[in-house]
Amino acid sequence: MFETLKNILVDKLKVSPDQITMEASKEDVELDSLAVVELSLVLEKELGLKISDDELIEVETVGEIVALMTERSVTV
Amino acid sequence: MAGPGDVAVTGLGLVTPGGIGVEAGWAAVLAGRSAAAHDPVLAKNPVSISCRVPGFDPEALLGGRRAHRLDRFVQLALVAAKEAVTDAGLDTAAWDGARVGVVIGSAGGGAETFEAQHRVLLEENPAWVSPLLLPMHLSNMAAGQVAMEFGARGPNMVVATACASGATAIGIARDLLARDRCDIVLAGGTEALLNPVTMAGFARMGALSKRDDPAAASRPFDIDRDGFVGAEGAAVLVLERLSDARAAGRRVRGRVLGYGATADAHHVTSPDPDGRGVRAAIDAALAEAGATTGDVVHVNAHGTSTPLNDLVEAQVLARVLPHRPLVTSTKGVTGHMMGAAGAAEAVFALLTMTHGVVPPTANTTMLDPRIDIDVALAATPVSQGLVLSNSFGFGGQNAVLALAAA
Repeated sequence: MFETLKNILVDKLKVSPDQITMEASKEDVELDSLAVVELSLVLEKELGLKISDDELIEVETVGEIVALMTERSVTV
Repeated sequence: MAGPGDVAVTGLGLVTPGGIGVEAGWAAVLAGRSAAAHDPVLAKNPVSISCRVPGFDPEALLGGRRAHRLDRFVQLALVAAKEAVTDAGLDTAAWDGARVGVVIGSAGGGAETFEAQHRVLLEENPAWVSPLLLPMHLSNMAAGQVAMEFGARGPNMVVATACASGATAIGIARDLLARDRCDIVLAGGTEALLNPVTMAGFARMGALSKRDDPAAASRPFDIDRDGFVGAEGAAVLVLERLSDARAAGRRVRGRVLGYGATADAHHVTSPDPDGRGVRAAIDAALAEAGATTGDVVHVNAHGTSTPLNDLVEAQVLARVLPHRPLVTSTKGVTGHMMGAAGAAEAVFALLTMTHGVVPPTANTTMLDPRIDIDVALAATPVSQGLVLSNSFGFGGQNAVLALAAA
């Protein structure tokens, strides 16, 4: 799931790949309030995962986003 | 000759269909090499030719993450601004940002982004419209992003006078310096309106050339001209008070001596057939420069290659400047960069003085017999003196800059 998120961040949001680790903060990967809305949209369009931008604003690290993605893909 | 505030141009930045950078752009206009080509983006349009900036790779120039969040009109402006700031040798880490203004002209802002997201709304899902739509589309973002790039915290705005916007921006910047609101202003214009719906609109107005041969389509003042060729681009000039620039030991690339701004108040797209607004703008620019018509050695015309603009502009020039200074329109090479045109042409006008040579009006072979001015059909030497750079916008706005070499 980490690789899936990483690919989305790199391909769709143009984040530099070397910045993306499980421990990286949202600031480290340049996910501001606009970018989390964009990420929420891409996750829904590309993977059918419904994770709201409000939820993404709450999380602090890439690892937490991966955890949310894993949780939602199980329930789906 | 001395204008109010005596404003110096200390840095130049240019991104045009002639190439990226001042050197490439000037070489292209001097060579008279038309940049027009068939445009795959416009393949289904009534008119499918345009002038794009060759080799413009925003990811390489600005970084992928940055470029992704900017409309092309802002990308172009940032690249031009970076060149201008570097050219001026400014240390943006050390300057007092509160005294640095940014004034950028743009006719249409981020229309490409707006069109793309409107397609998402109609064809996919309104809930899928990008949250970046407005931060990318709003016209003022050109000046806002330049400010963020350099920490310029003074007066900051985008001005719209359609195809005069770039010249208007320089005029307003001049005023900010003359009134001591700023010590430095980054002024210019930017435009990226080569998106299908905007260009279809221009085509439906009858404003665009319908020629099949792109390289011959933009031919200002020619008897066979039939419209302009749409173009993208950006130009930014660093402006400072002449006294400040000299005290700081900066190289002065030219001076802004006068600015005239008027409105035709006549018609939404057609110029006043008597050219009263254009004449008044020229008179105002000359009066501010403390100059007379006889001081004008060269005119970089608006010269769009539309039947009506070129006729009315030439008739005004023939009346106001009976000593026949050499006129050129660099739009034969660049096409019409719309809101960027006035700023890019101010740069070309200054380079004309620096190099002492007027670039040719590309593609123009036989002048319209009703046009009684001297048009440069080949690169031609010129003596030092005052240069006028004319810019006119749909809506009736006229902006004329009176410029001189250092």
